[in-house]
Amino acid sequence: MSDDTKTNRRGLFARGGLFADRARRREALTGIGLLSPALVVMISMLALPVGALVIMSFWTQNGFNLDTSFTLDNYRRLFARSDRVTEWMGMTFHLAYPVPAILMIKSLAMSLMATVAVVLLAYPMAYFLAFRVTRYKAAWIIMLTIPFWTSYLLRVFSWKVVLGYNGAINSGLMSLGLIDKPLEFLLYNPAAVVITLSHAWVSFVVLPIFVSLEKIDRSMLEAAADLGDSRSRRFRRIILPLSMPGTISAALMVFIPTVGDYVTPQLVGGNGGTMIGSLVQLLFTKQNNAPLGAAISLVMMGIIAVLVLIFLTLIGYWKMRARRAS
Amino acid sequence: MKKGWGLTVYAVLFVAFVYGPVLILPLFSFNDNTFATFPLTGFTTRHYVDMLGQRQMIASLMNSLRIGLAVTVLATAIAIPAAISITRYRFPGKPAVLSMLMLPLVVPSIVLAVALLVIILRFLGLPLSLWTVAAGHVLVALPFCVSVLISRLEGFDQSLEEASRDLGCSPMQTFRRVTLPLAMPGVISSLLLGFIISFDEFVIAFFLTGTENTLPVYLYSQLRFPNKLPGTLALGSVILVVSTVLVITAEVIRKRGVQTDNPGDY
Amino acid sequence: MNRIKFIDRMVQGKLSRREMMKGAAAFGVGATMLPRATNADELLTCLEWGGYDDASFFEPYMEKYGVMPNFSIFAGEEDALAKVLAGFAADVMHPCNYSVARFVNAGVAKPIDTSRLTHWNDIFPVLQKSEGVLMNGEIMMAPADWGNSSIAYRPDLVEPDFIADPSWSIFFDDRYKGKVSLLDDFLVVLIGMMVDGQKYDDIYNMSGPDILAAAEKYGNKALEISRFLWTDATTLQQAMASGEIVACYAWNDLIGNLQAEGVPVAYANPKEGMFTWFCGLTLLNTGHADEAAAYDFIDAWLSPETGKALIEGSGYGHSNMKSFEIADPAAIAAMGLTDPIKMMETSIVFRTPDDAVQEEQVRIWEDIKALHI
Repeated sequence: MSDDTKTNRRGLFARGGLFADRARRREALTGIGLLSPALVVMISMLALPVGALVIMSFWTQNGFNLDTSFTLDNYRRLFARSDRVTEWMGMTFHLAYPVPAILMIKSLAMSLMATVAVVLLAYPMAYFLAFRVTRYKAAWIIMLTIPFWTSYLLRVFSWKVVLGYNGAINSGLMSLGLIDKPLEFLLYNPAAVVITLSHAWVSFVVLPIFVSLEKIDRSMLEAAADLGDSRSRRFRRIILPLSMPGTISAALMVFIPTVGDYVTPQLVGGNGGTMIGSLVQLLFTKQNNAPLGAAISLVMMGIIAVLVLIFLTLIGYWKMRARRAS
Repeated sequence: MKKGWGLTVYAVLFVAFVYGPVLILPLFSFNDNTFATFPLTGFTTRHYVDMLGQRQMIASLMNSLRIGLAVTVLATAIAIPAAISITRYRFPGKPAVLSMLMLPLVVPSIVLAVALLVIILRFLGLPLSLWTVAAGHVLVALPFCVSVLISRLEGFDQSLEEASRDLGCSPMQTFRRVTLPLAMPGVISSLLLGFIISFDEFVIAFFLTGTENTLPVYLYSQLRFPNKLPGTLALGSVILVVSTVLVITAEVIRKRGVQTDNPGDY
Repeated sequence: MNRIKFIDRMVQGKLSRREMMKGAAAFGVGATMLPRATNADELLTCLEWGGYDDASFFEPYMEKYGVMPNFSIFAGEEDALAKVLAGFAADVMHPCNYSVARFVNAGVAKPIDTSRLTHWNDIFPVLQKSEGVLMNGEIMMAPADWGNSSIAYRPDLVEPDFIADPSWSIFFDDRYKGKVSLLDDFLVVLIGMMVDGQKYDDIYNMSGPDILAAAEKYGNKALEISRFLWTDATTLQQAMASGEIVACYAWNDLIGNLQAEGVPVAYANPKEGMFTWFCGLTLLNTGHADEAAAYDFIDAWLSPETGKALIEGSGYGHSNMKSFEIADPAAIAAMGLTDPIKMMETSIVFRTPDDAVQEEQVRIWEDIKALHI
């Protein structure tokens, strides 16, 4: 019904012709007006850093000074080919400086695994909150975030105690007599990183998915039930498609920042825990090569953006949103 | 609707997953040992006495709480109109604006931190303080707040807003009486996300703070002193208990005021 | 313009609460929740390690001035340097000897006039002329706290041959795979070369293909053997206490901390030598406070009372020889030390490679770690 009203109204203006332009301009102005606080924050605080990053990536570090003559060397260095072959995880790299490329792949893989794990863990919980919880809903939601008020370092520390050598899991299994020596493979490996990251991000994903499930019109589900749709069919035909855009944006909210995260992998990932974010961080501090760090950051941002775009196009995200907006 | 038990069991397991590791904190905060390893060696409350003696830690917790509150309120206040604009209005360049709002997610935090530091100190000439940290945090919290609000507002049944307008309500009235209540789950989520992000952020806080510390900066610097660990475990436990009690009390008080079983009601 | 003025007045604490509220309302921000900034102009600003911002480390300063200096705490010298280079105004910084050169070469440090320090003559003579303290004939750092880096081990869990003849080779020994931990630093490579018979003083400033080959050899081996490379002492001591690792590269404080909880632990004196690190106070030229206050602060750090607090409280040594006369002998023994003066002369004091070499070493080390699976 709402859709009809809206089309009619817009249609009226469209047919009227006379008001169409003016109305549209007014709408655009109001829209931008509402956006302006956010835009001011973004432009004042983000435009300069990103601009500086771009400019800096064309400079060179010279001891403690920056050589500001324009050069593409930083980028060339990232892509320069070499006859020396570097092998890593069964992949071969014909690059003169393969480290950023390898770390990029490693970070993307780690982040992807964590994102998938987080979404799979979070979706049923969000579903439970949206459809099963009827009372104290706000309390439920807040309760799910309380563990995250205890500070990140303490939570990572807790995970180390859970997974560690004389930790909760090992001690538990040993006192049950299931093992007689602590399992050492629980900590300091990629799985530990994925578990810890999943835990760290799970509430960031439960909340948005819950929000998008919560707004689904219950009458639609009742109608489908009246028409004889089974529960799984209602889920597949109505709930899943309608919650998809929210779920996807929640997934991206995890995927994008975790590519650049380096603290968790460093703390629980063991000796293979170096990520692309660690490299950038080191280039800006210890390695004292901010221009190269800037170039790597920009390439990383570009790769993430392209991957996200490809992903969204593949799953037809734009169509999904367009369908819902109309 | 018939309710399956499977999902309820899952929810219980999920809560266990979320709470399990953090319950380590209270457990070892009462353990009579500097190191958090099994087996437990005995009961003590000395770590809580230690904690109270760590003035700097308490002060940094207070700083983090204040920054977190300010950041989440500010970021949500900025994000609400932005989300309304993106979901309700047509204007040119919307995809560009949207991707720009998500940009802080891709920029590595060390880059943001160093760049903002240079801008604040060199270009603006402002002294570093908790204000500068809060400003940085608003920037990183915005994408999360905007995104969760868009999720709520997008494709939402807009007939109510239109009805309100047609009945002669001003845009402000429509916003206050219709849009905002409808967006409430999104607003609550946005406030919660904004708070967590600020409360846990380390890199930007480290670079943009002057002589006052936030909790993550303080804790990070304490890693050098293992015998200070039990005090921080005690602090984590106190945060856990106090926030749980606060939430339950608030909910009980509120529910006493409004008795309702309406699933959409908060 | 108005906005800047507003912030200015606010920072100087000149805005009344009411004005603040009005101003905040005008901005439409929830800014009133933020704490008010205090007037920080005349106070000394120190860049300090977290945990060292404690009055017991500079009592004489407190007696004279009555207020704590401002502290901006950091967890690594390079982060602190990045902050200073970006324009953060600090008067005093607490670097370790191997990173003083970074501050000097970056042009943010200034020489110390030791005649303005009353305790200077009681400082260990070895420290007075060590690298990082004395640079180009000028004193760039007043050494304050020091300690050793050696092998801490669990006598109940290592093999008897290690206890009989302790050696850094334990970190490259397949029998200890997944049971030991080295520091996450290029030093790992140098330790490997020392095990192979080279002298620290000959190799610390090495660069080029030789060091790259050595780094690949020893770095990869160490990564393979170590359970993890440690970056924070808490994780390390936790792992030693639980028996997850049986030996590690460690500072003195580990011994006291673990013994206090009844964990059997000992500090080895490996045949290749043990290391000595020391840190101290450096004057920065970026600060706004009175230089006399900075000298008083540094002098307070050098006092024997500070040394006593440091030895008894955190298990580290102090640069003032008199501190060891007044500190609790049990605390000195817990550091694994019997004769500090002798130890200071026989151990390997960390040195500073040239800036370019240091950067190359960091890069090589990070690349090796990055390629490790």
